[in-house]
Amino acid sequence: MSARANIAGALSAAVVVAMAWVLGTSTHSAGSTTATSTNTPTAGSSSTSSPSGGGATVSGTFVGTSVSTRYGSVQVKIVVAAGKITNVIPVRLTDQGGRSVQLSNMAAPILRTEVLKAQSAKVKSVSGATYTTDAYLQSLQAAIDKAGI
Amino acid sequence: MTLHTTAESRLSIRPPDHVGLYRRRAKVGDVLVVSLWISSAVAVGLFLVGGGTDRLGSVPDAITSIGIMLGLVGTNFVLAMLILAARVPFIDQAIGHDRAIAVHRALGKPAFLLLLGHGVVLLIGYGLSSGTNLIGEIAPMVAIPDMPLAIVAIVLLGVVVWTSLATVRRRFSYETWHLIHLITYTAVLVSIPHQLSIGSVFSPLSVGRAYWLVLYVLAFGAIFLHRFLQPLVSSIRHNLRVDRMVVEAPGVVSIYLSGRRLRSLRSSGGQFFVWRFWTPGTWWHSHPISLSSVATDTELRITVRDLGEGSRSISSVRPGTRVWFEGPYGIFTDAGRTAEKLAIVVAGIGITPVRALVQDARLRRGEASMLLRASTPDDQYLWGEVEKLAEQKGIAVTTMVGRRSPRGRGWLNQDAADRGVTLLSLFPDLVESDLYLCGPTAWVTLVEAEARATGMPDHQIHAERFDW
Repeated sequence: MSARANIAGALSAAVVVAMAWVLGTSTHSAGSTTATSTNTPTAGSSSTSSPSGGGATVSGTFVGTSVSTRYGSVQVKIVVAAGKITNVIPVRLTDQGGRSVQLSNMAAPILRTEVLKAQSAKVKSVSGATYTTDAYLQSLQAAIDKAGI
Repeated sequence: MTLHTTAESRLSIRPPDHVGLYRRRAKVGDVLVVSLWISSAVAVGLFLVGGGTDRLGSVPDAITSIGIMLGLVGTNFVLAMLILAARVPFIDQAIGHDRAIAVHRALGKPAFLLLLGHGVVLLIGYGLSSGTNLIGEIAPMVAIPDMPLAIVAIVLLGVVVWTSLATVRRRFSYETWHLIHLITYTAVLVSIPHQLSIGSVFSPLSVGRAYWLVLYVLAFGAIFLHRFLQPLVSSIRHNLRVDRMVVEAPGVVSIYLSGRRLRSLRSSGGQFFVWRFWTPGTWWHSHPISLSSVATDTELRITVRDLGEGSRSISSVRPGTRVWFEGPYGIFTDAGRTAEKLAIVVAGIGITPVRALVQDARLRRGEASMLLRASTPDDQYLWGEVEKLAEQKGIAVTTMVGRRSPRGRGWLNQDAADRGVTLLSLFPDLVESDLYLCGPTAWVTLVEAEARATGMPDHQIHAERFDW
C-alpha cells in the first residue's frame, strides 16, 4: 500500500514492457521474413487446363501462392479465358480476428473489380486494409505469372 | 453477563509483537500493489509480443494499438477489482476488508475510463485507417461479430460505476445498489467474446489466451468460492439459529445465536459477519454486524440498535429463526494491531466490536486505554461489561457523557471541549499507539481528522466502518 510498493511496481512494470518490446521486435522481424519468403511459389498452384501456346489464347484456372500476413494467409485464384482475367476468387483471406475478417471482406470485392478492370496486379491499395491488399496482389501476381499472360 | 474463560487465560500469554507482525502483513499489501502493476504490464506485453511492436509505425496503427492496450489494462483492473471484492481470506487478513474495498473503489473509475477510452480510441484508429471519421466508423465497428456484446458490457459497467459514485450511491438502498452491482458479473462475462474474436492478441491456442483465461478463472473462482460457496457451506454446517433476545437498553437488543462447532470459524473479537435472517420479511436483507462478545463453540452474540428498517426488523425475529452468514471479516481485531500501545475511542452502539475486541485482546497492564462516549446516560450500552473487562485487563477507562459540542472539538462533549481536552491529552502515547475508533460516521470522521493532525500514520488508525 506504500509509495515504495508503487515505485517498485512501476519499475517492474517498465521492465516487463521493455522485455516484451525486445521479444516482440525480435520475433516479429523474423515473422516478416517468413512472410516474404512464402512468396516463392508453393505446391497447390495448379491449373485445370494447361496453357496452350501464346499468352493470348491462355484459358483455365490459376492458383496464386499463399502469402502469410500477421492477420492470416491470403491466397487467390484467377479464371482466365482467352488470355483475359475473367474472375478473381479468394481461396483464403486474412482471418485472424473479427476485425480483419471484416476488413478483408470489405477489401476483396473492391480489389476484384479493380483487377478485372486493370487486368493486372497494378491497382491502388484499399485504404484501411493494406495488409490484405498487399498479400492479395502478391498472390494475384503469382497466379498471373503462372498463367503466363 | 458471563465472561468466557478465554478472556482470563489469554492474560498469561505473552502479548504478540504487533510491530513485527504488522510489517509482515504490510508486505502482503505491497505484493498486491506490485502484482497489479506487473499484471497490467504483462497485458501490454502480450500485445507487444504478439506483433504489437510492428503496429506503431503509422499514425492510424499507433492509435489503434494504444486503443487495444487501454482495453487490456482496463480489463486487468476490472479483474483485480473482482479479486479485491471477493473477500479472499489472505487479502482480508493482510490489509483488511475495508482497505481492500477502498482500493477496489479507487480502481473503479480508472478502470471504466480505460475501457471507455479503449472503445473511443479504437474508433478513431479504425476511422483513420479506413479514411472515414469517428461517427462513420461506428456502423462498421458494431458490425464486427461480438461487438454488440462488448457495447452492452461497457454500458452495464457505466451503470455500475455511476451508481457507485459517492453522490449517486446515497440515493439507493444497499440492496438496490448491491443488485445493480451484481450486473458487473454479466458485464465482465459478455465482454470476453470480443476480446477473443476481434484482433489477434488472444488467438486460439496461444499462451496469451491461456494466461488471460486463467486470470478470469482466478477472479471468478475467488468470487464463487469466497462469496457464494464458502458462506453457503458454512451456514449449513454450523446450523446457526436465533436462540434468544436480551434487551440491553431501550432500543438496543442483544441477539444470541446458537450453532455447532462455532470455534472452527476462528472469529476474533472485533470482527463482523454479514447476517441473513430467514424470515419472510428479512431474508433478502443482509446485515453486516460485529460480534459483541467472543464466540464460544456453541454461541455467538450480536448487539443491535434500532437504526433503520433492516435493524428494526431483525430485532423482532423469533427464536428458532435460521441464520445464514458470511464471515468472519475484518481486522478491527487484536491481530490488526500495528503499534506498541492501544488507544480505543468509542461512541454509542460502536461499543459492540470494542466489547469483543477487549475481551479477545492479549494486553500487558497499562498497554491500552479507552475513552467511552455516550450522548445521554441512556446510551451507555454494554458499558458495565466493558468496564469489568477493562479492570481485569488493566485498561485505563475514561468516560464522557453528553451531546457533541457545537464549539471547539465536536467529538467531545461541551464540558471537555471547553476545558481544552484533546486526543493527545487523553492519550499521551497516541503517536506510538494504534487508535481503534468506532461510532457514528460523522463523529468518527472528526476523531480521525484530529488523529491525522497529530501526525499519526494511517496504518495506526483503525476506523472500521460498517457502512457499505
